[in-house]
Amino acid sequence: MNTLKSQTRTEPLLTARGVSKAFGKTQALTDAALTLRPGEVVGLLGANGAGKSTLSRIISGHIQPSGGDITLNGAPLVLTSTRNALQQGIALVAQETSLAPDLTVLENIFLPDLATPGRLSFKAMRSKASTLLSGLGHEHVLPLDAEVRLLSAAQRQLVEIAKALALDARLVIFDEPTASLSATEVSRLFDIMARLRDGGRALAFVSHRLEEVFAITDRVTILREGQSVVEDVETSSLTQGDVIQHMVGRDIGAIYSARSASRPKTNEVVFEVRHLKSAPWVRDVSFAVHKGEILGLGGLVGAGRSEAAEAIWGLRPHQDGEILVRGRPVTFRKPADAVRAGLGFVAEDRRAQNIVPDMSVRENLLLAHLGLHRGFGRGYGKCTTRIAELIKDLGLPADRLDSSLLNFSGGMQQKIIIARWLLTDPEVLILDEPTKGVDIGTRSSIYRILQGAADAGMAVIVISSDFEELLGLAERIVVVSDGYTIADLPAARLTEEKLTLLAAPRTSTARNQALLKAFAQEFEADAFWTLLDRDDLICLAQAGRTLAGLAPGEALRFDETRIPIALAARRNEFVKESDDTHQTMLVQMTDKRGHDLGWIGVTLAGNASAPSPDEIEARVQALLRAGEEDK
Amino acid sequence: MTDAAASRGPGSIFKILHSLEFRMFCLALALAVILSFSSPVFLTERNIFNILDQSVVVGIVAVGMTFVILIGGIDLSVGAVFGLTGIILAQLLQTMPISAAIPIAVLSGAAIGLFSGVLIALIGLAPFVVTLGVMAIGRSLSFIFSGQRSISGLPPELENIVYSSLLGIPANVLFLIVLYLSAWGYLTYTKGGRTIYAVGSNREAARAAGLSVATYSVLPYVVSSALASVAVTFSLAQVMSADPMAGSGLELDAIAAVVIGGASLYGGRGSIIGTLMGVLIMVMIRNGLNLMGVSPFWQGTAIGSIIIIALLAERLITWRSTRT
Repeated sequence: MNTLKSQTRTEPLLTARGVSKAFGKTQALTDAALTLRPGEVVGLLGANGAGKSTLSRIISGHIQPSGGDITLNGAPLVLTSTRNALQQGIALVAQETSLAPDLTVLENIFLPDLATPGRLSFKAMRSKASTLLSGLGHEHVLPLDAEVRLLSAAQRQLVEIAKALALDARLVIFDEPTASLSATEVSRLFDIMARLRDGGRALAFVSHRLEEVFAITDRVTILREGQSVVEDVETSSLTQGDVIQHMVGRDIGAIYSARSASRPKTNEVVFEVRHLKSAPWVRDVSFAVHKGEILGLGGLVGAGRSEAAEAIWGLRPHQDGEILVRGRPVTFRKPADAVRAGLGFVAEDRRAQNIVPDMSVRENLLLAHLGLHRGFGRGYGKCTTRIAELIKDLGLPADRLDSSLLNFSGGMQQKIIIARWLLTDPEVLILDEPTKGVDIGTRSSIYRILQGAADAGMAVIVISSDFEELLGLAERIVVVSDGYTIADLPAARLTEEKLTLLAAPRTSTARNQALLKAFAQEFEADAFWTLLDRDDLICLAQAGRTLAGLAPGEALRFDETRIPIALAARRNEFVKESDDTHQTMLVQMTDKRGHDLGWIGVTLAGNASAPSPDEIEARVQALLRAGEEDK
Repeated sequence: MTDAAASRGPGSIFKILHSLEFRMFCLALALAVILSFSSPVFLTERNIFNILDQSVVVGIVAVGMTFVILIGGIDLSVGAVFGLTGIILAQLLQTMPISAAIPIAVLSGAAIGLFSGVLIALIGLAPFVVTLGVMAIGRSLSFIFSGQRSISGLPPELENIVYSSLLGIPANVLFLIVLYLSAWGYLTYTKGGRTIYAVGSNREAARAAGLSVATYSVLPYVVSSALASVAVTFSLAQVMSADPMAGSGLELDAIAAVVIGGASLYGGRGSIIGTLMGVLIMVMIRNGLNLMGVSPFWQGTAIGSIIIIALLAERLITWRSTRT
């Protein structure tokens, strides 16, 4: 263990040593240790079932440990309830929030106070709540009188945090707080966490998203099978590879398995969606997928991807659009129709939409078969050999087919749900967030399963908000934003940054669009917003005449446009093409952290009189500043 | 929970010993032993047939109730449907042969179930409320159709349904056995039966997997009402008159039997064997208390206590085995 520099740091607020916890015959924790200090964020990592949540719930008084020592400020800590923990200044911001959905934000923030006798002063509560929220830098994003059930996941989390602060919590545990947040919301959450840390609070961050752990934590503790295998080590002294290895206990090699070279390359479209509309979330979604291809459907949470999939699957009504299987138009009024047409669908919410809790693993595996099967009997018998094969391929335990699915880890459950559909041999398999809440070891085996299915000719559509996953897994990515498909690009042309910009909600890009329109009108020009690479570009938006030859959502090499010279020059003054047909100026946009937000370009006819480059530059910079003040 | 922990799974013998049906069987057996010690009459052949005979009506209705409870519903209307279709059958028998009257009465029962089922499964009304309404309507109609009095003068051949026998087993008991065997086979080995379990356990997942959720959400109510009409047929054959108040409280006995048999009122969990045990346990307690000369007014307390104890025991057992 690494103890460098420990003497210069503050005394621990909380230490846990040798903590164990048994549930019946299951040993959830055997020897867990954790140290939390004021002014530090500690990442608590581990694969699914490693005991992260159990340890968090012990520290926050939700459950009592079977053994071990926990001290708070050096004194032994024994918690009998969450109320007890809150009194000691320990709060848990949980994955599933513990808010009362029918009460208002204000009432929820002061929920623990409702248990104290006497009258409540709503006036005092209101002013205290405003102070708390402005301390978090979010006073205007949370209406205090709104009912909590109407809030977004991110807003609910903010209420949870405010609730912890209302009790003046010294120690806040965030249990997978980013699971249902978009990228922007995550970065806001990290801002808040940084403020809390700088205010001298001790924070624990439970996650298995490694990028986030490296972004926000100072130290990490890694659990594996109920034991702390790495305890209180500086985050900067580890690489992502080290962390993964500690989490799974072995080197798992590349997470994303490559597609097999023998995969048939075809242009045969097996499934296509044209102009799908399902109010209010899906406005105009179109995409096509080929045989043996993995297509990524990317976008932020709430962009309408899951809703589009559910509309295709007959789970929600759609008002407009066409669905074609092998070129034939089809209508799915209920999921059974889609199953019969040769489709498969792993819905997003494992517990609510996929698992049948009272059925054994075997029957859960056979559920889609049962949907497909015609006849009076179950037809289970004819699946026996196929099940045996699948179990072998997927590393499922053959001897536990008749036990309850609920006894398995989340990752194993997910594999079984995917296997449920592989059993029916669909031509097209749609998976909505297939690795949500799944540990990294199982994730890599799910990727291998999907690559294998595509190798065998299945068309696979993966919906994911994890852009890294999309880029690693898919060959082509269709980006959905605010209910519209806005780009259809080969994965090789994209990076996480480009995807983030493409997927940004339209409300946040509305200002850019308005500026492009203004430029286009005032100068009779082609105005566009684009991401530039060395010799290729991705166009994000465009307005006015199409002089430059760019269309939104398109990826082009510079020499495929009509303005290759200007693009290569990247000057913030007008540059003429060699044949004098066009002149173009480009202004780069970067945010305050120095991230590339793309370039605004204005193209005029070669003989037109050019407006002042300084004016254009100034207006773009004004736009950027206005955008930053809003954040 | 880790995968390793779950792999210490039980073997098949162990599993049978641990199954709910087996526990209920043991409970029924223990009850029989206790009762045979408290009353010398209990274990006589005549009393055993008596118990079986008394099980027929509630037993038939409980099969339908099992279907309904398995999909997470409830059917409060079975008692009223029992009364109403009894009156309908008695009226039909005044003018029609038995072989035509019985099917028509059963079909009219099924139609009432279809009505409730459609309102519940397709329109989405609460089963408790819909069947409560149907219960009130059914009871009221049975008074109207009967002219507020019992109808007698049924054809004497009707008695054959009950008083003929095969291999020494009375026809109504034989019917009960065949009904339980086919219901068990249906729920265990057919697509429809498994769909009913899946719908009760997780409707969303069943739908997403392409199962015919709508059909199998309506079907149990049809089965339940149709079986209530079948049950009243046997009852009529025994008492040879139809009473508009017949079957009041029958829904509660049927629900009690299903719940004692280990079914979850949330759906998805329960079995036909368990229901059979539940029926036998209830009838045995009534029978035993009668033999011991306990006042019928105390019998409700006894049955009620058994229901609550059975639920408590079940909760304790599942709580111990699934705590995470």
